[in-house]
Amino acid sequence: MQGNRRVVVTGLGVVTALGLDEASFWESMLAGKCGLAPIRGFDTAGYRTTISSQVDDAALGAALKERKLRSTDRCMELALLAAHQALEQAGLVSGVQPPEPRPTATVFGTGGGPTLGVFNATRSFIEKGLDGIRPSTVPSFITNAVSAQISMRFKLKGPNYVIVSACTSSTSAIGTAYRMVADGHIDAVLAGGADAMINPLIFGAWNNLGVMSASPDPEKASRPFDVDRDGLVLGEGAGALVVESLDAALDRGATIRAEICGFGESSDAEHITRPDPEGQAAAMKAAMDSAGLNPGDVGFINAHGSATPTNDVCETESIRRVLGAAADGVPVASNKSFFGHLLGACGVVETAAVVLGLETGRVPGNRNLENPDPKCDLHLVGKESMDIDAPVALKNSFGFGGHNAVLVLRRWEGS
Amino acid sequence: MTVEEIIEKLRELMKESSTEDVDWDSVTPDTNIETIGFDSLSILDLIYDIQQSFGIQFDAEHLTDVRTVGDLAAFLEKQLGAS
Repeated sequence: MQGNRRVVVTGLGVVTALGLDEASFWESMLAGKCGLAPIRGFDTAGYRTTISSQVDDAALGAALKERKLRSTDRCMELALLAAHQALEQAGLVSGVQPPEPRPTATVFGTGGGPTLGVFNATRSFIEKGLDGIRPSTVPSFITNAVSAQISMRFKLKGPNYVIVSACTSSTSAIGTAYRMVADGHIDAVLAGGADAMINPLIFGAWNNLGVMSASPDPEKASRPFDVDRDGLVLGEGAGALVVESLDAALDRGATIRAEICGFGESSDAEHITRPDPEGQAAAMKAAMDSAGLNPGDVGFINAHGSATPTNDVCETESIRRVLGAAADGVPVASNKSFFGHLLGACGVVETAAVVLGLETGRVPGNRNLENPDPKCDLHLVGKESMDIDAPVALKNSFGFGGHNAVLVLRRWEGS
Repeated sequence: MTVEEIIEKLRELMKESSTEDVDWDSVTPDTNIETIGFDSLSILDLIYDIQQSFGIQFDAEHLTDVRTVGDLAAFLEKQLGAS
């Protein structure tokens, strides 16, 4: 067992194409609504991939104005909004009132950080030369801005830093927060992640990498575990969790949403984009060991399920290696058919879905699973959401670069 | 350049880089610059614009005591007089 203290979630914030709050996020997913759409904001002529999941600009602008969260880059604005939601829900800030300084830490994950700031500054530099570079370019591209601006805005005076590990960034941010609290270093951590890469340069780079779906149909493009899947769909978003010691949460009468009871991570140390079941399985095993779980204890898996041809087969093998025959009875679903792949934000946003699933006893389906890939022979949740009585869930995240991170969450039963 | 002229020019520059929706006609020398969208981050671009527009250089550290538009104008008046 890791650490001595029990760790719980007391606040949750999600900002995705499905909506700017927890309720719209969850209701959309349970109803099978898809957040993918043709890209807005730049011309995709010539791009192989022309769809994404983007946060609604008008709604985002209104929320940022109301909450006084405007910032230097879209990535930070998404992060600030998710952070505000989580802190507000946990009762640590109240609306736009000046926040009380707190010893809370801030650990956020991001894949690219403020990439729009870099793109805009580069364009301005090419057009106007040195005079075209605004000083705010520094806090608009330096990746620590994601956590630093949250710390400054909400007066969180514990340590703040950013974890950069591609698609596992925010899963590792939550896991790191869990360890900080479990080991007694701090009572509360705001953990989360954000990414906003939908600009001509960075999205173009992903386009040329050839790992994204070429489907022009937003409803059908992201198809985890389906035999016709043809790649991931890149999206933008942010999420945040208040991760707190159980004792601290009980002392202040906070509402407990779920317990975090394990975390494991590993590296493939192999190939930049091709995942390795040995590395993935090692992270899953480490997470389960840290929570003291046997294969039969796992009730549900929120998969990484990126919908690339390689990942979903590899993840299947990893789950089989760790759970063995018990895998036959464990429902597995990926959330990426709803909002695509949020990179550094996918771990926290999908962990939010796990928390909601444990609370409500219902999980969203694999909404585009029409013909399950025979090589993905898991107990896959069908296209529709389903009731599930699972007190313990795993959240898998795996990333380019061979990063693997897995969380274990438990339903909060009141003690 | 009079303080009034400096404030008028400042108002134009502030309009450019403020992140808030501000009623600029109601901004007076007593207006706190934080209330019109300039914190330690967003003031970076304003300082740069001021230096470019007024053709002066100064150490941004000297602005830490500046709270209001009037403070900023007085600071710039001194800088312009010295240059």
